[in-house]
Amino acid sequence: MLPLSLLKTAQGHPMLVELKNGETYNGHLVNCDTWMNIHLREVICTSKDGDRFWRMPECYIRGNTIKYLKVPDEVIDKVQEETTKSRSDRKPPGVGRGRGRGRDDGAGGRPSKGTGRGLDDGGSKGMGGGRGRGGANRGGNRSGGRGRG
Amino acid sequence: MSSGPGLESLVDQQISIITNDGRNIVGVLKGFDQATNIILDESHERVYSTKEGVQQLVLGLYIIRGDNISIVGELDEELDASLDLSELRAHPLKPIIH
Repeated sequence: MLPLSLLKTAQGHPMLVELKNGETYNGHLVNCDTWMNIHLREVICTSKDGDRFWRMPECYIRGNTIKYLKVPDEVIDKVQEETTKSRSDRKPPGVGRGRGRGRDDGAGGRPSKGTGRGLDDGGSKGMGGGRGRGGANRGGNRSGGRGRG
Repeated sequence: MSSGPGLESLVDQQISIITNDGRNIVGVLKGFDQATNIILDESHERVYSTKEGVQQLVLGLYIIRGDNISIVGELDEELDASLDLSELRAHPLKPIIH
């Protein structure tokens, strides 16, 4: 079982998070991502020495500042169901896709270069579009000014 | 006994973790990932002191971030059961200095 799947499963549950600086955050997990960044609601923050407290409606914690997370015991039982389900569901198509992509990449050396150029062109067009918009806005303002005048 | 590299062989076994801040946490390894983030079930902290025996604090289900882990060790349950922690005195570990 992966630590981040357990964390994902803990969504909606209360948890305690200790940061590397010693502060602790108690709250309900709203969401998390693959970097362990977490979003908590109804939070109580406790200072390192444990004698100061702050209540806040929500907070967002960058994953790499976390030391550990204390999760309710029952959460681990909920994960196992999900992982077994997802494993049985995902394995067969996963293998097929992997092979398919590998062959496509090998045969499509030229096309992949082509798409690379295409993307670059797209990017430059995108930038151009962005500049164009800026210009148009400025133009619009000026023209508005002219219109008023 | 563990075999091969990695923590796979220790899953569902009792392990002992030393964290960067010098804590010793013992529990059952339930999972890990490439960043050495670790799931510890039924975990407790062993607090060492020179004045009194080892205190055990119940922690429960923990996810410990890999950044904060110094050592992961297999726990010899037979040997561990034969220890009288209340008579054991030791200096607490100091935190890691980077």
